[in-house]
Amino acid sequence: MNNQPLLEAVNLSKRYEDGALAVNNVSFFVKPGEIFAMLGGNGAGKTTTINIFLNFIEPTSGEARINGISSHVEPLKAKQHVAFVSENVMLYTNFTAIQNLDYFVRLGGKTQYTKDDYRKVLLRVGLQEEAHNKKLKGFSKGMRQKCGIAVAILKDAPAILLDEPTSGLDPKSGFEFIQLLDSLRNEGKAILMSTHDIFRAKEIADTIGIMRQGNLVMQKSREELSGENLEQLYMNFMAGVYE
Amino acid sequence: MLSTIITHELKNIFFSPKFSVTFIVVSLLLILSVIVGIDQYQKAIRQYETTTQLVQQEMREARGWMSLNNKILRKPDPMQIFVAGVNNDVGRISGISSFFAVKLSHSTFSDDPIYAVFRFVDFAFIVTVVFSLLAILFTYDAINGEAEKGTLQLTFANAVPRAQYIVGKFVGSWLGLIIPLAVPMLISLLLLLLWNVPLQSEEWLKIVSLFAAALLYVTFFISLGIFLSTMTKRSSVSFLFSLVTWVCMVFIIPRAGATVAGHIITVPTVAEIEAQREAFSKDRWTEYEGTMQEKWKARNAPTQTMTKQEREAFRDSKMWEWMEEDDRDRKQVQVDIDEQAKKLNEDLRNRKAEQEYLAFVLSRFSPASAFQLAAMNLAGTDIALKSRYEDALNEYRPVFNTYKDKKQKETGNSGGFRIEVNSDTGVKIDAGREKGVLDISEMPQFTHPKHTFSDAMASAVIDFGLLGFFSLTTFAGAFVRFLRYDVR
Repeated sequence: MNNQPLLEAVNLSKRYEDGALAVNNVSFFVKPGEIFAMLGGNGAGKTTTINIFLNFIEPTSGEARINGISSHVEPLKAKQHVAFVSENVMLYTNFTAIQNLDYFVRLGGKTQYTKDDYRKVLLRVGLQEEAHNKKLKGFSKGMRQKCGIAVAILKDAPAILLDEPTSGLDPKSGFEFIQLLDSLRNEGKAILMSTHDIFRAKEIADTIGIMRQGNLVMQKSREELSGENLEQLYMNFMAGVYE
Repeated sequence: MLSTIITHELKNIFFSPKFSVTFIVVSLLLILSVIVGIDQYQKAIRQYETTTQLVQQEMREARGWMSLNNKILRKPDPMQIFVAGVNNDVGRISGISSFFAVKLSHSTFSDDPIYAVFRFVDFAFIVTVVFSLLAILFTYDAINGEAEKGTLQLTFANAVPRAQYIVGKFVGSWLGLIIPLAVPMLISLLLLLLWNVPLQSEEWLKIVSLFAAALLYVTFFISLGIFLSTMTKRSSVSFLFSLVTWVCMVFIIPRAGATVAGHIITVPTVAEIEAQREAFSKDRWTEYEGTMQEKWKARNAPTQTMTKQEREAFRDSKMWEWMEEDDRDRKQVQVDIDEQAKKLNEDLRNRKAEQEYLAFVLSRFSPASAFQLAAMNLAGTDIALKSRYEDALNEYRPVFNTYKDKKQKETGNSGGFRIEVNSDTGVKIDAGREKGVLDISEMPQFTHPKHTFSDAMASAVIDFGLLGFFSLTTFAGAFVRFLRYDVR
């Protein structure tokens, strides 16, 4: 497996027009087969960081790289190597799950899949077969989230960005989701996940970063965190104890 | 990529309830309007043929060549089925005589005012008002609606070029909207064939051009909807903007243009022109009567010293000469009156032309006006319809009068009554001839003014250009805005 970082933030900063500093000189990387969990409160800069990776926002300075390609300089090339699942996966409600998959997967540049391929992936993410051909109008958030992760799987990108993926999921769906992430990691995907959920992060992440007011105030590997009380650590960082 | 976006947009439109509603509403309106239009056209043709025959009959039964008057009816045009334009406002009949200037009267709306209150719904109206509104309703949330739903974010998490996305959105929306217009239009054309509406190749070309103008017009509103959806983050705001813009474009600007032009350039009313014409005519006839009295005094002067027999012999010898002289004078008066009327009409038309030009310039800021004007020009039911007919009638009138005079001279029959009052023989009335024997087979026929396809296109080309310009500008605006649109 290539051990070069697939996702890399290099001195990444973002200051908005109103002067607010959303991300301040943040650097980290995620290698293939790794999950990096960004923890932090609301407004800590987690989503802004992901948005810079997706070129939804331009960085003020620094660079976000996907597979070594600057997402700001060559966004279309960079996005070929990344899949994205947002906090609230929103798909077309007047289309079925398979129709939605077909559209977004084609946008991702994959045109070789058949309906059977879509069904297999939907089953893999835990969406019952009877829902495959139903319009998304009646889908719960968990079901939509499963469709979103199915799109990400079918895109078969080496890197995946997840913005609060377990937010609002029931415990069972949350558990299934974590299992799915584990299997994706085992396939060699580099996963960057922003989350509020300390316990899920601790359970699945290889590296945990804590963001506060735009700064990456802590970045530790699973090994470095072993024996530490992550929850206490997080609360201390949030309270500014170590400043 | 582009085909994926277009196909998706088309599916999105086809599966939406608004597509079904649009298709049903437009189909019903368009097909019904064409059926009503065909019925109106066929009625107008029957009326035209019947009245023309009656006029011919009346002319054959005229008392004599002098009293022969013609009536010309405006021939219905099959293009009025699609674009009524000013067709129902312009008079359908004009008298042709030596004494009265041509004037088209008896318009459909003056004869049947109920139609003026509830105007005909034709293709032009459906496209101008109904279809443009539907185009706006289809596209007002094309971009911000996707952003609100969250699908835009997921779309651009992929390597999708923004230019391709906006072009795909536009093409998909365009195709999705054109189908509800094209299908009923094709059915309407079939109905024309089924009802045997006489359409020549010129008319077919005009219909195709009319459809092309409609496409350009709808393209503008699709581009406008997309443009407004890139201007705001919330679809409710762009909906409001779209409606306000639509009302301004379709209703306010065209009317405001005409009103402002009316205030800037004033045109004398028809009543004022009539009054001036009447005053001149009255003065001229009064002058003529005075001259005649003087002449008769002078003619009678030598007879004062004559005996009765000498006087009668003198009068008999001079009468034909005097009658010809009087006729020449009378005709000169008529020529003067006609020239004055012509001058007044020319002044009026020049002022009107200035006013119309300004009104068109101002109202053409709205694509709705540009489309209406293009449609009317193509159909020949434009504002120049009246003057085209009046010009043709004015050209025909002297030809007809010359024919009438020639016939009158050939037959020596004035056609009037000759009343002779003699103190010896009493009153003697001579009716001239029997009724129903005038042979008008050689009478020159009126040629209806031609409105060829090239004439129509020459008038409509500016509006085609404007519609293309408006569509391109709004799409360019949408394109540029979307390149910097925040997709989050």
